Amino acid sequence: MKVVLQNLTKIFPSRNKKANEEVVAVNDFTFEIPDGKLIGLLGPSGCGKSTTLYMISGLQKPSGGRIFFGDDDVTELSAENRGVGLVFQNYALYPHMTVKQNILFPLQNLKGEDKLEKDVMLDRAYQAAKLVQIDELMERKPSELSGGQQQRVAIARALVKMPKVLLLDEPLSNLDARLRLQTREEIRRIQKETGITTIFVTHDQEEAMSISDMIVVMKLGVVQQIGAPQDVYDDPTNLFVAKFLGTPPINVFEGEVKAGKLYLDDVAVLDVPGVEDQPVYAGIRPEGFIPDAFGPMICNLSGVDVMGRDVSLVTTHPASLNPVVRSIVDADAAKNATGLTVSYSLKPHKVFLFNKETEARVYFEVK
Amino acid sequence: MVESKHKWKAWLYLAPAIALLLVFTVWPIFNTLRMAFWEDYSIMKDLGGRLDFKFGIKNFVKVINYQGFKDCLVNTLLLTVLTVPISTLLALLIAVCLNAIKPLQRLLQTIFFLPYVTNSIAIGMVFEAMFNIVGYKTPEESIGIINTVLGVFGVDPINWINAGSSYWANIAVLVIYIVWNALPFKILILLGGLQSINKQYYDAAKIDSTPRVRVFTKITVPLLSPMLAYVVITGFIGGFKEYSSIVGIFGDDMQAVGGESLNTMVGYIYDALGNQEGRASAAALILFAIIFVVTMINLYVSKKKTHY
Amino acid sequence: MTNQATLTEKNIQKVSSHQKVVKIIVQALLYAFLGIMALIIVFPFYWMIISSLKSTPEYRLAVPTLFPKEIMWGNYAEAFTAANLGRLFLNTVIVGVVSTVLSLVITVLSAFAFARLEFKGKNTLFAALLATMMIPGELFTITNYVTVTKFGWIDRYVVLIVPFLVSVFYIYLLRQNFMQIPNELYLAAKVDGTTDLKYLWKVMIPLSLPTLISITILKMMGAWNSYVWPRLVTTKDNMRLITNGLRDAFTDMSGQANIPVQMAAVTVVSIPLFLVFIFLRKYIMKGVSRSGIKG
Repeated sequence: MKVVLQNLTKIFPSRNKKANEEVVAVNDFTFEIPDGKLIGLLGPSGCGKSTTLYMISGLQKPSGGRIFFGDDDVTELSAENRGVGLVFQNYALYPHMTVKQNILFPLQNLKGEDKLEKDVMLDRAYQAAKLVQIDELMERKPSELSGGQQQRVAIARALVKMPKVLLLDEPLSNLDARLRLQTREEIRRIQKETGITTIFVTHDQEEAMSISDMIVVMKLGVVQQIGAPQDVYDDPTNLFVAKFLGTPPINVFEGEVKAGKLYLDDVAVLDVPGVEDQPVYAGIRPEGFIPDAFGPMICNLSGVDVMGRDVSLVTTHPASLNPVVRSIVDADAAKNATGLTVSYSLKPHKVFLFNKETEARVYFEVK
Repeated sequence: MVESKHKWKAWLYLAPAIALLLVFTVWPIFNTLRMAFWEDYSIMKDLGGRLDFKFGIKNFVKVINYQGFKDCLVNTLLLTVLTVPISTLLALLIAVCLNAIKPLQRLLQTIFFLPYVTNSIAIGMVFEAMFNIVGYKTPEESIGIINTVLGVFGVDPINWINAGSSYWANIAVLVIYIVWNALPFKILILLGGLQSINKQYYDAAKIDSTPRVRVFTKITVPLLSPMLAYVVITGFIGGFKEYSSIVGIFGDDMQAVGGESLNTMVGYIYDALGNQEGRASAAALILFAIIFVVTMINLYVSKKKTHY
Repeated sequence: MTNQATLTEKNIQKVSSHQKVVKIIVQALLYAFLGIMALIIVFPFYWMIISSLKSTPEYRLAVPTLFPKEIMWGNYAEAFTAANLGRLFLNTVIVGVVSTVLSLVITVLSAFAFARLEFKGKNTLFAALLATMMIPGELFTITNYVTVTKFGWIDRYVVLIVPFLVSVFYIYLLRQNFMQIPNELYLAAKVDGTTDLKYLWKVMIPLSLPTLISITILKMMGAWNSYVWPRLVTTKDNMRLITNGLRDAFTDMSGQANIPVQMAAVTVVSIPLFLVFIFLRKYIMKGVSRSGIKG
């Protein structure tokens, strides 16, 4: 089932009545989520991603705009009538019920023609449990499970009624690092197996990039960019998106474009044809640096971080807005970096220019 | 050196409490037991220097065989069995409703707590006035505000508490008053419990299209069960010790004029003071035993039914 | 698939308008129910106050008036003399204040010893104290009645004050509160040469003030509402407390009693409680939710 958001807006009235300041949690969000895809809503805390999720679930009412499931306008439907599955950040497993009772719970709520026979319900519950590999734990209480197991129960409970849309609110944030890696693969696998349109919210860009078919980057209630993870990474539309995606993060410099050349600290480092003369922010991905004895960009070397196959050179540059400039180069190239400085030439497609006032992307022709 | 000084000081701080507790708490435990088994003990004989009481269970036998005590026991049981479920269910209903509204919640919460900060004798007298028929025989005179209100709904005037009123009418008035009086504490505890239930369980239930009734029986009540158990147990204990509500409405005689006695076990104990301390002690021990057994049953049941 | 999968456009409109109607009806029912219950709860207070201001003939009208036609303040003057409220009020204040102050001192000292000092048998002693809380008060009352009779305390203030000075529950409550204060503060004070008493006075008491206020209010309310014990241990009417006077003065059940005066007396007794409640609601509700003990 595809999900369409049309000019979706959520405004919270101010807590302080006198101040009369409204908080715009989500502003004019329009997006069509294709059927059967896994979508990551990504952004720093307070960016409106959870609010968007809750509006899709029906737990919160939008202040404006419409929500469609398929061709049906469900904006006015409350959560009970939307048929979505939601996995809460803290799982919200009923503490007084066993795993089995928790998973059966949504099925027991079906009425009318959808009402199921008891053994059919049990069957479905065991299928869902098997899918998330917790069928051994059916008689336990949630308090007797580990965080990862509770997480799986929560997913099984959300899946058992075969929802049209599955929503996951920060599903991995309460797990430790190893479990997080494992569980996100799991979520990917379950989503592929069931083919249910899935939307999940996270503040962790790595997590979103690794499993999503598409990601939506949000900031202060406004959608910044939507696209496949790699596309967004390779082609950010503004400085915020560029900075938000990627580890180590992108290096940002203050610079100027003059006569088709990018100047950093008054040194021309790259040809940027087709750009008018203007002051810019230049973002350079860590993998965009090529150690080159004759390269135009000279940085002061302050350290080397060995990361195995690759090496991260920690340097400083006068035009950099960050305290250090990190580049990732292969280990062989790094062997030469022994002096006080290191010279680079730049990969043009790893360099992004942004207007200094609007922070919007300024495109140049890459040869 | 410092250590020993410390120990000495600790006992100094505790001295007043311990002295008073020894006289008014510890000694009574032993003495009440002793008096209960001293046949026909009374303080008059004690003060007169007669301490040759026989040891035995005669006090208990007398108390149990005494019709007045049986009546008190029946009254107490009846009031407890009627008021605890009614007040608990009503309090649960009010607490759940209060928890489901937003505007006026605090105001209503305060109003529902009001009966707690009252003097049960004083407000008992107000209830007495409300049920009282001033001039039943003459149509110009009041039949009591309660009867007037019931009259609006077509109910004939009832003789609630006046001379010639029936036992069950008396009990009905008492049940109404005791429930009215018991609600605030129960609402306070239950509402506190409801507010501490994580709202996410309700969101999860909503997502799963859970009907209201099922949310109540499958989520609210189980998650509230520790509080419910607490309210029921304290309710039973309070019910068995019912006394001043009855004095409030029916006065020291604890009965309507010419009516059946509405005395309770605690009332029986107090009435026996002054001349029959032996029997009072025996009755108190019986009361203690009943409360103890009922509390244990309650705890056992609630352990099986509560979920934490 | 589930029922939602089969929704058609018409269906959705029906469901969404249905859910709106249900929501409004449910809210209306909630407020109606709560409103009626609140009315029932408040009505006795309302009736008490308006009745206390009516003349006897007006009170006895077959069709009751909801507000007195003529306000009879005189009922209050009459109530004071009829129930000897002045003297009993004085008694109650004396007993209430003295017993509250003494009780607070004893409670604070004991709670401090249990919370901060180390001595042999501390835990055993504390457990024994808690165990006494299970025994119903009536069991103590009998022997205490015998004891105070033997002491010759009948008809003296001391009999109304001393037997109830120590409350194990209050000691327990305050000890829990004291325990929450970090031990480092105590050790730091010791290093600085602060005496125990000074530490208690300067640090622990200010930090536990809310609990102490709760205890004070509940103790005062206890004195104000006590009925049974004063009735047992006093033979003279003018040594009793206010609740006794209230009940004893108006026991005429013949239907001819002057109810407005009676209601005036009841109002006089109830008003101070309301005032305390209005201004100190927070402390009362907090104390009560932890204790469940009335008075």
